[in-house]
Order: sequence, then structure tokens, then C-alpha cells
Amino acid sequence: MKVFRVELADELRGVVREPAALFFSILMPVAFFALFVSLFGKFSNGGLSAGTAMVATFGAFGVISVVLMNPGIGVAADRERGWLRAKRVSAVPISVTLAAKVVAALPYAAGVLLAMMATAAITGSLDAPVPALLRMLLVLVVGALPFALLSLAIGFQVGSGTAAAVLNAVLIPSAVVSGLWMPLSMMPAFFADIARFLPTYHLAGLATAQLTGGPVWAHVFALLGFAVVAAGLAAVSYRHARS
Amino acid sequence: MTLPHYWLSLSPSTLICMEKVLEVRGARFDYGATQAVAGVDLDVGAGECVALLGPNGAGKTTLVNLVIGLLAAKEGRVRVRGGDPRIASTRRQLGVVQQSLGFPNTLKVSELVTGAAVRAGVPRSAAGPVMAELDLTDLASRRAAKLSGGQKQRLQLAMALVAEPRLLVLDEPTAGLDVPARRRFWQILAERRARGTGVLLTTHLIEESSAVADRVVVLDRGRVLAEGTPDELVARLPDRTVIARTSLVRTRLEAIPGVVSVRDDGEHVRLGTRAPEALLRVLLAEDPGLTDLRVEGAGLEEAVAGLIERGAA
Repeated sequence: MKVFRVELADELRGVVREPAALFFSILMPVAFFALFVSLFGKFSNGGLSAGTAMVATFGAFGVISVVLMNPGIGVAADRERGWLRAKRVSAVPISVTLAAKVVAALPYAAGVLLAMMATAAITGSLDAPVPALLRMLLVLVVGALPFALLSLAIGFQVGSGTAAAVLNAVLIPSAVVSGLWMPLSMMPAFFADIARFLPTYHLAGLATAQLTGGPVWAHVFALLGFAVVAAGLAAVSYRHARS
Repeated sequence: MTLPHYWLSLSPSTLICMEKVLEVRGARFDYGATQAVAGVDLDVGAGECVALLGPNGAGKTTLVNLVIGLLAAKEGRVRVRGGDPRIASTRRQLGVVQQSLGFPNTLKVSELVTGAAVRAGVPRSAAGPVMAELDLTDLASRRAAKLSGGQKQRLQLAMALVAEPRLLVLDEPTAGLDVPARRRFWQILAERRARGTGVLLTTHLIEESSAVADRVVVLDRGRVLAEGTPDELVARLPDRTVIARTSLVRTRLEAIPGVVSVRDDGEHVRLGTRAPEALLRVLLAEDPGLTDLRVEGAGLEEAVAGLIERGAA
């Protein structure tokens, strides 16, 4: 536990001491959200105000973008500079190092969500009870963890520059097709057909269900399946990078 | 636990019993069809410095990776103080200094050394003395990424030494360091060796290894070609080094029969040769401006080149 605390402290220092990284991790999704919520936040969307629904969908995008980008780019940079090798020859299991990278992203993911909730509240378009909002926050933060595994899988394979490009190439289309920016009802019909197979869609669906009381199990099983696949990919990718 | 020992001959009349900190027996590793390490035996005793030399592709890096637990031998055995280096408790006895390590941009010197202490299971307070020993105290609050090359190597050494490892594995540790920094590096290591830390060194600076290593192991194509003290290896060959100022070009010098190595040394050139008389005849015949000519016994570099050439023949 002491070692995990040291690893986690190192990772958190990394983010705090290079605040420029926060621009893309926090400010950009929140600014994007602020623009959309100010334009459409007071419309109604399935019994919720659009602003409240957008906290779930944009929130899913914000959390996924933090958890998908940071660990993978971090591990790729560590690999390039030989730092990951140094960790591997230390007495610390590599899983502790990687877990610290993932956990270090979570406060920023929560920060994105809280900033979006505050923005929605300020614009007067947040109308969900606090317990439901807290459940949604918890679901998004925990549900985003499998994305961190996918992020690590990519970080083990490519350099940090390429990792950023590849991860964005995964994130942005998935977000659009899953209706994280605009509701699927406003998109071409085939987007919904594709979305059912994307974990981004299921995470947003699970988050929205916390606000609407809708069904959750299909989303939970889909995310569990994705977690298994992502864990497998991360393990194979790590073994490949190690050999 | 009874630790394995072996007898190391220091001189014909002196034998000491030395604790083994590294024992490699019949280690084999291949990358598919390429045999990288082909049945290597290697020992390092407490306080001993063993240099691993050989050309690129000789298997040094693979052997080092076996020793530090990054790879598992496909056959044979690798033990650090009797333990498998892939196990965390054994790794605590290991310190590693890489040729070039990029530290995270955001971490400070003191945080890195303290972190290394915690990761190795020793108190944080161990960081202060080792930082003082390596002249890092004044740099404690500086970000590691902003240190000079010599300071970074000292930091890496501090991180490796903070847990008092019994075996230090050094991969080209002084590459890029100036002479005073290099001297200071070896001085610190000499102090640690006196306290019983064994050192396994890989380097391309053969003359440096000649100065600091108790024993040299020459690897080629995954096998141990020769092993002994630097003097023993040099004495094993009849080679000589011819030193001169010459206008002959390198390609011509390399083509002279019997020449096994050509090395620039300031304005001079050092030619390792098995046939010094024949070489002298060619030089005198082809270069009327030849000056500063002298013949010496071969140095370690010439000896290693000669051993590898004979091994390949």
C-alpha cells in the first residue's frame, strides 16, 4: 500500500505540475459542454431537461476522454524514456505502477463531471436530485475504468505521439456515433445500429439510467464484456511490449 | 540460508573465499531462430567487479536482461544471492543503472530517490545519506529532467544504491560523462564495492573496464569466449600494439595482414597486430613520413579484438 501511495503521488504530481495537460483533459470537454448546454440545455429530452441529460452524455465523453487519454499516453512516454523498464526491474509489481496511472486519472474524471454539473446548474438547466447525480458520477467514474485498460493496451504498442493520435481516433468517432455530443434521435438511423456495439454508448446509457430510472442490465453486461476484452488486450499488449 | 561460495584466485599465492552474489549456470535464451545466449556460465562475487565485453550482437544485453529478471532463461539457471531475479524479494538485492534513462519531467531529485527507497522496502530516511554521498543534496529540489548528463547518472546511481543492493548491474554507466565525472562515479563505486556490493558492468569503454574490473568476460555470439583478469587476457595473446603517426588511411591500415584492430588516439593511431614485424615493414615501406613509432604489449582492447577474431575464425 505504501508503494502504491508513492506511485500514485508521482502520477498526481505529474498532472499538477504540468497543468497544460489539464486544458485538453478538463477545460475542453467542459467548454464544449458549456456551449451545447447554453444553446440547448432548456429543451426537454425524454422527461429530463436536455441540460441534465447532457450531463450524463457529455459527462461520459469527458470521463472517457480523461481515462482513455492519460494512462495510455503516460505509459507510452514512460516506455520511450526507459522509465517503464526502470520500474520493471524494481521490486514493485508492474501492476501497481499501472494501477496508479489509472487511479490518478479518476480525480480528474470526477473533476470534469463536477465542472459540467456546476455549468448546468449555473445555466439553470440541471433538474435532477442530488442522489441521482451522485449515482451517475459514481457509475461514470467506475464504468470508465475498462477504457483505461484499452488506453494501456495502445500505450504499450506505440510512441506517445502516435498514442495520442490513435486514442483520439478511437474516442472522437465513438463519441459521435454513440450520441455523446448530440442525441441519437437527431442523427442518421444507422448511427443507433452501430452505437449498440460501442461501450461509449453503454456507459452513457448507464449514466442516463441513473437519472431516468431506465433499465441498466444490458448496459452493465455490455460494459463487463468490454472490460474483459480490454483487459485481455492490455495483457497481450504488455507481454508483446515486454518481449 | 547458506549462501554459495567459490574460490577466487587473486594471485598464485593468495586465495580468498568470496560470497557469490550472481550465479549464472548454462543460461540459454533465443529469439526464435537466433540464439542470443547459448549456455553461459557467469559468477560475480561480493565486492567484485566483472566487465562483460563483446561486439554488438554478442548477447550482452540479453544476458543482462536475464540477470535483472526482465527475461527468463529458456534453459539453465540465473540466481542473485540464491534467488530468482524475477521475484520481487530478489530484485530488492539488485540495483540497475541504465545507459540513458529519461526521468519523468515532473519529478524532483529528492522525490525520485525517496521513491526508490520506498519501492525497495527501505525507510525514506535512507535517501538523505545516499544523496549526500553522490553530491545530490544541493539538487534535491530540482526537476530530474533538467539535470546534466553527469548529474542524471549520479541520480540513477543514487536510486540504485539507496537500498544497499548486493549486486549492481551497470549498462554503459559512464557513456557521455566527462573525465572528472567518470572518475567520481568509479570512486563512489569503489567505496560500495569495499562494503561488499558486486558489480556487473557492460561497456564499450574497454580501457575503462580494464582499469576498474577485477575480471573480464568476453562474449561473442552468445558464448563466453574468454574470461580472466584484464592482465590474463592480454597475456594470453602474443599480440602487440604498434603506435605511430602515419598518413596511411584507415582502410589501408585495416587491410595490412595481421592487423586486428585500428584505433585513433589523438594524432596517433594504435594498431593491434599479431605480426608486429610484418606490420612495421609495411609502415616503413609505404609511409616515408612515419614518426613517433613505438611498439607496446597489446592493451585490453586489442586483446579483446584479437580474441573475438580468433573465436570467429
